[in-house]
Amino acid sequence: MAGGNKNKLSREEELLLQDFSRNVSTKSSALFYGNALIVSAIPIWLFWRIHQMDLYQSAIIFVIGTIISTYLVAMAYKNTKFILKHKVAVKREDAVAQEVMRKLSDDKKMTKKEKDERILWKKNEVADYEATTFSIFYNNALYLVLLIVVSFYILKSFNPAVNYVASVGASAGLLALLSTGQN
Amino acid sequence: MAATGKVLVVFALCMFSIVANGDMCLGPQVTSQTYTTPEAIVSTETVFIVEFSVACKNGLKNINLYAEFGGKTVPASKIGEPNGNKFQLSLSDEHKKLPSGNYQVRVFDEEGYAWLRKAQRSGENLDNIKPLFTLDLSHSGVWSGPVLQSEFVAAMTAIFVWWSAYTAKSRLQQ
Repeated sequence: MAGGNKNKLSREEELLLQDFSRNVSTKSSALFYGNALIVSAIPIWLFWRIHQMDLYQSAIIFVIGTIISTYLVAMAYKNTKFILKHKVAVKREDAVAQEVMRKLSDDKKMTKKEKDERILWKKNEVADYEATTFSIFYNNALYLVLLIVVSFYILKSFNPAVNYVASVGASAGLLALLSTGQN
Repeated sequence: MAATGKVLVVFALCMFSIVANGDMCLGPQVTSQTYTTPEAIVSTETVFIVEFSVACKNGLKNINLYAEFGGKTVPASKIGEPNGNKFQLSLSDEHKKLPSGNYQVRVFDEEGYAWLRKAQRSGENLDNIKPLFTLDLSHSGVWSGPVLQSEFVAAMTAIFVWWSAYTAKSRLQQ
């Protein structure tokens, strides 16, 4: 490649980079924040109905707790997705390649490079989707375990308001922290 | 003098009958209501509360009654109107000592109570003393809460779901 194109990445390189990038698309970002909001709002029900907190009196704590928790849970989703995406891509590589090749087998005009590109793009899409949904599932499950254990067992004797702040903070914080690990 | 003596004797006999009737409640009609502790979660002991009213054939009012239950004697407290002959008894013991079943509370008037005390002092069998009446109460036992607490079930379910998610994640990352 000569002079001017030196800094420009080829389409293939871009796709490869996307495979490893930490950035998430607007669509999956919305999915993450939407899910994180729903999961973070669940403790409100728990503390309202089970721990007998007043919904209106404690509205400020609930809103602040939910916002902070939403941010941390969405962060955990993103981190877990990033870790999983590449692994999923490697796992699904052969199957995706096979499927794409079968679909494109009739198309004689397409060059090998184009086909490879198509495979790479499809692989990226599959891995992205699977990693996103699995990350949401895994983090939701872990968040609820942490929340139940912390609020019902560890902070059992505390007053409900303290229990809410501490259990939601601890669960979301721990979730975000655990998601930064490599395994 | 003889006439005076006869009058005195008749008067004394009349007095005797009044005194005798005054002390004894004849043919008591008892209506009672009972409460027994239903559960052991918030109560440390099993309690029996019996509320009863007594109507004597001879219209006796303002009597004092005592109850004997499991070798212990307690006075019955008067409740309601001053001469209403309405009483309340509360008896309590550990949950283990009062399992479910039918119990009898023996109720004595003052005379019977005196005999009872005497028998207690001399260590005689208390069952031989005839009570004024007995109250039957049935206790259906205490409920000590569910075997598994609901938060335990919730925690176990959540841990199971997370564990399955974790194994799936580990498999992906191999």
